[in-house]
Amino acid sequence: MKLNTILLSLATAGMMLTSNVALASGGGHVLKHANVDVTNQEQLLRGLTVFSDVCMGCHSAKYITYKGLMAYPELGISRELADELRGEKPMMSGMITDLSPADATESYGKIPPDLSLIVPGRRGGVDYVYSLLTGYAHDHNEKVPDGNYNTYFPGNSIAMPDPLGWLDHDAEDTAELEQQAEDVSAFLAFIGDPHQNERRAMGKYVLGFLLLLTIVLFLLKKEVWKDVH
Amino acid sequence: MLESMMKTKLFAWVDRRTGAEAIIKSQLTEYPAPKNLNWMWVFGAIAMTVLVLQIVTGIFLAMYYKPSAMETLGGFSVAFDSVERIMRDVNFGWLLRYTHAVGASMFFLVVYIHMGRGMYYGSYKEPRELIWIMGVVILLIMQGAAFFGYLLPWGQMSFWGATVITNLFGAIPVLGDLIGQLLMGGFSVGDPTLNRFFSLHYLFPLLLVAIVAGHIHALHTVHSNNPDGIDLDQSDPNNVVMFHPYVTMKDAFAVSLFMMLYMYIVFFNPQMGGYFIEVDNYVPANNLQTPAHIAPVWYLTPWYTILRSFEVKLVGIAAMGASLAILFVFPFLDRSKVRSARYRPMYRGMVILFFIDVIVLGYCGHTATTETLKVVGQIATFYYFAFFIGLLFLPKIEKTKPLPEGV
Repeated sequence: MKLNTILLSLATAGMMLTSNVALASGGGHVLKHANVDVTNQEQLLRGLTVFSDVCMGCHSAKYITYKGLMAYPELGISRELADELRGEKPMMSGMITDLSPADATESYGKIPPDLSLIVPGRRGGVDYVYSLLTGYAHDHNEKVPDGNYNTYFPGNSIAMPDPLGWLDHDAEDTAELEQQAEDVSAFLAFIGDPHQNERRAMGKYVLGFLLLLTIVLFLLKKEVWKDVH
Repeated sequence: MLESMMKTKLFAWVDRRTGAEAIIKSQLTEYPAPKNLNWMWVFGAIAMTVLVLQIVTGIFLAMYYKPSAMETLGGFSVAFDSVERIMRDVNFGWLLRYTHAVGASMFFLVVYIHMGRGMYYGSYKEPRELIWIMGVVILLIMQGAAFFGYLLPWGQMSFWGATVITNLFGAIPVLGDLIGQLLMGGFSVGDPTLNRFFSLHYLFPLLLVAIVAGHIHALHTVHSNNPDGIDLDQSDPNNVVMFHPYVTMKDAFAVSLFMMLYMYIVFFNPQMGGYFIEVDNYVPANNLQTPAHIAPVWYLTPWYTILRSFEVKLVGIAAMGASLAILFVFPFLDRSKVRSARYRPMYRGMVILFFIDVIVLGYCGHTATTETLKVVGQIATFYYFAFFIGLLFLPKIEKTKPLPEGV
């Protein structure tokens, strides 16, 4: 019986350690906490606006189609808005930037990464993205030029110039910029796994069913074993 | 229900042509199982459940997955795109894929506990040596299948993990280059590698099913061990219960409880903080950019630590090979007549320390090496082998406790 206890407690401890580990990213700073809610339609739509107005200047989200923006119930944008966003692109096109890879390489030295999976694809996830957007600062050593120095980016020198204008912003704009950064982080967290809300909602029923099944099977087991001594 | 079914004419017709009744009786309704089996004996049934789930989800995933490394827009690939299509566009594709990806980790978790059970209660000892050895083969095939499967999404960790491991084979003297090239289908991990890994990833579970069948057949020939590790008269009803319905109901309950944990992870925490699906694998494979830290998934990290514990690469590879190979001879190293650790005070301490040791090895392999961790890993590696070597001498010094007469 001792072995049961040892193994189960080890397994449980392992599970607890491994879940929800927020790893600080390479910049060596503890990430700022992003206040995001991927079920909040208003926040997601504000995030979509930031994404299409700012991010899409250089970045794509190729796995998110304009049709998808209409179809995901969390976004549910109107046909008019989808038409406005897509311009000449077909409905089934992904959200592809107009900046060509060649121009991007010439201007920034590299091709900006696709943002469809930027939240699951970075340590720290949504907190990392939020911290990065609000992490532009002056380099104390004055080696990295302004606009390319980021507190949270691994190595601190980032090719992406300060997209929201965080560096040297007026104090009264802080709240608004933080809001924009959170909104777009929420949008990016959503598109990283667009079925996550459906998944969590369904999960409650699945676990509820399994709990009932487990109880029934436990009682059945007890009944079957009652004559064994 | 089973009994009424076995009384039908249709069943009689089938039975006359297949001997189905004899099979059902010998394997289920009249197959005796020790009645003192504790909850550690449910993990075999759980492992089989996970195997079935892996195969079923895998078959459906293969209907949508495309094994091609051809580059697509934005630095992605056809394979990566097809996985994202499963995640986003295929109806319940996300459920299939998360169940499959989390299932790999759950499979190893369950099988490691199952092995630990066998080690603790001496289930590997005479006359069950071959059951243990077939189990080790199962473990190796699982590791192979997991390794092949991990390449399929063609993410950064897929690519670099496969590169590191295939390079290991390349370091084997004389035949190394040939083995490496055969595995990769070229001189580096690329499109041909992806194609053959997909093929092998589909093949290995079939091998697994065959060997699991052998594993169970052998078990049913020699019968289950029990927590006291004593030989039981299987025809004495005081010792045993019938497999069905007693053990089947117990297993069903355990499987259901396990499914709660499994489905909790699938629905609420499928990446498990980067331990079950690594963060870097959401970044498409890029052969020009090495990730900051390459580590295998948690279930392979103990062996990775053994590999890294030696300065000379070839010695590390040999040690890693030996750490797996020694499992094959494990039943013959330990010659104590007493099976269960309950009656072997010294073995009990050693084997519990061994379990902790493997967890320490796993931890060291997952984290980026520091000087301290390296030393810890080396000590853990030393104990891993010392445990097995120590078993050779253990019967000479260990005073075992008296065994009970019956259950």
